[in-house]
Amino acid sequence: MPPEGARILVIDDEKQILRMLKVALEGNGYDVAEAASGHDGLNQTAVFHPDLIILDLGLPDMDGVEVIKRLREWTRTPIIILSVREHEDDKIDALDAGADDYVTKPFSMGELLARLRVALRHVAKTDDEPVLTFGELTMDLARRNVILQGQEIKLTPTEYEILKYLALQAGRVVTHRQLLRAIWGPNYQEQTHYLRIYIGQLRHKIETDPSQPTYIITEPGVGYRLVTRD
Amino acid sequence: MAKYARIFVQHYLWTFLAVTIVTVVGKILTPFFNLTNIVLLYLLPVLISAVRWGRGPSFFAAFLGVLAFDFLFVPPVFSFTVNETRDLFVFAVYLIVALVTGTMATKLRNELEKTRQREERTHALYALSQEIAAKTDLPQVLETLVKTVSETIRAHVSILVSDPEDDIVRQAASYPPQHSSPDGKEQAVAHWVLEHGLSAGKGTEILREASELIFPVKTEDKTLAVLTIKMNNEEETVSLEQRQLIEAFANLAAMAIIRMRLAKEAEQAKWLAESEKLHRALLNSVSHDMRTPLAAITGAVTSLISEKGVYNEANKDILLHTIKEEAHRMNRFIANLLDMVRLESGILKPKTEWCDIQDIIGVVLRETKETLQKHAVRVNIPRELPLVKADFILIEQVLINLLENAVKYSPRDSEISISAYYHDNKLLVTVADPGPAIPLIERYRVFDKFYRLHSSKHISGTGLGLSICKGIIEAHGGQIWVDSSPEYGNRFTFSLPVAESPSEEPDIKEGEGNATRRCTHTRYR
Repeated sequence: MPPEGARILVIDDEKQILRMLKVALEGNGYDVAEAASGHDGLNQTAVFHPDLIILDLGLPDMDGVEVIKRLREWTRTPIIILSVREHEDDKIDALDAGADDYVTKPFSMGELLARLRVALRHVAKTDDEPVLTFGELTMDLARRNVILQGQEIKLTPTEYEILKYLALQAGRVVTHRQLLRAIWGPNYQEQTHYLRIYIGQLRHKIETDPSQPTYIITEPGVGYRLVTRD
Repeated sequence: MAKYARIFVQHYLWTFLAVTIVTVVGKILTPFFNLTNIVLLYLLPVLISAVRWGRGPSFFAAFLGVLAFDFLFVPPVFSFTVNETRDLFVFAVYLIVALVTGTMATKLRNELEKTRQREERTHALYALSQEIAAKTDLPQVLETLVKTVSETIRAHVSILVSDPEDDIVRQAASYPPQHSSPDGKEQAVAHWVLEHGLSAGKGTEILREASELIFPVKTEDKTLAVLTIKMNNEEETVSLEQRQLIEAFANLAAMAIIRMRLAKEAEQAKWLAESEKLHRALLNSVSHDMRTPLAAITGAVTSLISEKGVYNEANKDILLHTIKEEAHRMNRFIANLLDMVRLESGILKPKTEWCDIQDIIGVVLRETKETLQKHAVRVNIPRELPLVKADFILIEQVLINLLENAVKYSPRDSEISISAYYHDNKLLVTVADPGPAIPLIERYRVFDKFYRLHSSKHISGTGLGLSICKGIIEAHGGQIWVDSSPEYGNRFTFSLPVAESPSEEPDIKEGEGNATRRCTHTRYR
């Protein structure tokens, strides 16, 4: 169950989606407000003080990415975007502009709720936990070691940094650009093949079957996500 | 004209000179020959001038010869008086022989000249027809035409075509190349020629004061364009023979133009027919493949809404899952339809980036988990495959389509395998299923739009999936094919070119040599 009465603002111009989301989210114990346009959404954010915002990228009055930029000028409230398969670039722009995660329409409610929980948990988390556990994978950030099924596994410094970055964002999508910037610096943010190579290596070390990864999954065209088990 | 007169006078002067030489030679020979022999000498200039300069100079030579002979040889010398009738007879015979020989020689010469010209013309026509046949577009044909005409008759030639939109004529080609747009007067003449299909301008009955000849390029019933011909030598007019030659050239060009128009029309007609066929198939497909899942959804939902305790939990679950699956099917269908439209309209351009095929296969297996539930899946990917430049999402789409087909056409619980390998600068990916082998004659056609196997009409499908795969793979510069046999079923394989390798690794101090090793492997060709 979510934190008691977490407040969610849904910004979407499609009435059917709004209605469906309201029913489903309220059914799951959330407190829901609706906005049918970008401007309305910006105003509501100031008035309603949501704990999380669900934003459709295809709004009639404003570019979704613009809405994110304006919001990020003054609030860190997590934003989950709704997008369609055909607009990969918008999705990436939105994530790089500060959105926390996305779901692609048509989405399953289970998927959306999982993303909501992850995003809300990230806000709630304050102190840096030195030990992170994902199923049979444990990362001790203080001691810089990684343990899989009780066995310590050797990672190269780069592999370790990538895994750590993903682990700190666990459950959330991390775009190629974010990851490249974090590990190699801003000059390397277009070199996606570095990631392909290192993620491939990491999978061979931590996944039982690298072709069917269960820890680091690929978000096609967008980035990677370290799966949390909840 | 002055030039012609000069040449004309020159011919007579040469004739005169020839007669003079013969006279001198005759004078030298007089002591050794009698007069009847000497008179024969005078036939020589007649023959020479007939062959070289034509009938006029040859007659001139004949008469000049008689006069010279009479004056200088026949006694009394230095007088035109003739003493003996026998000499008169010699004159008469000489004159007849000279005139007849001159006439015949001239005729022969003209015949020869005509033959030579005919040959030249035939040759030029042949060359032009050869050249035009090799050209594939209109501007090239027009350029060849003006160039040939220009070179053959030594003139500045340009071709004007009418612009259907503006009701003006525009210069389409010119030789020697020179850009100019026709002025008002030229426009008027060109229009007149286009309308009447007759030549006009200099050397014709119509508008003869113009500085150039305007010539129609026409078929039997229509004038397609006009040629404007301006002789390099301004005083020259286009001769009748040249006009005939130009006409022959123009006819050739006209035929070529018509041939191209017909070919274009035929292509358009074919394209129209094809797109109509496609539209019909698309409509059929949309109406059938969209409605089927929609009907299932509507049926299930209305059952649930109106249910009054008639369904137990298990049945409700079946209905709900039907809704979910059918909605998924509709979503897949729409995705395929959109890809199809994008492929057809040419707006689908792969956004290539370095991809790890294992990564793509991983995503595909996740996406198709539910579809693959009732099959065993075996994945075989060697550890060290090179990265490949491809559009991740499109290749994912290809693999999803191939896997969904494999599931659809193979028996329940059978094994589907996915394997990737590297060979000869290509990355190859095979999806194999143990379903009934596709007959040889249908193996190419399965990649056609909306094509369905004859044996599988009972299995629902759109005939879109494989054609999209083909479109996507070809947009990547790869190939897709299927080989089938009753022993192993069907193996769908696609190839992606591995032409280059990614740029170098940034210099990072690594604890192990691992990363560097993997990188080296990705670089092998």
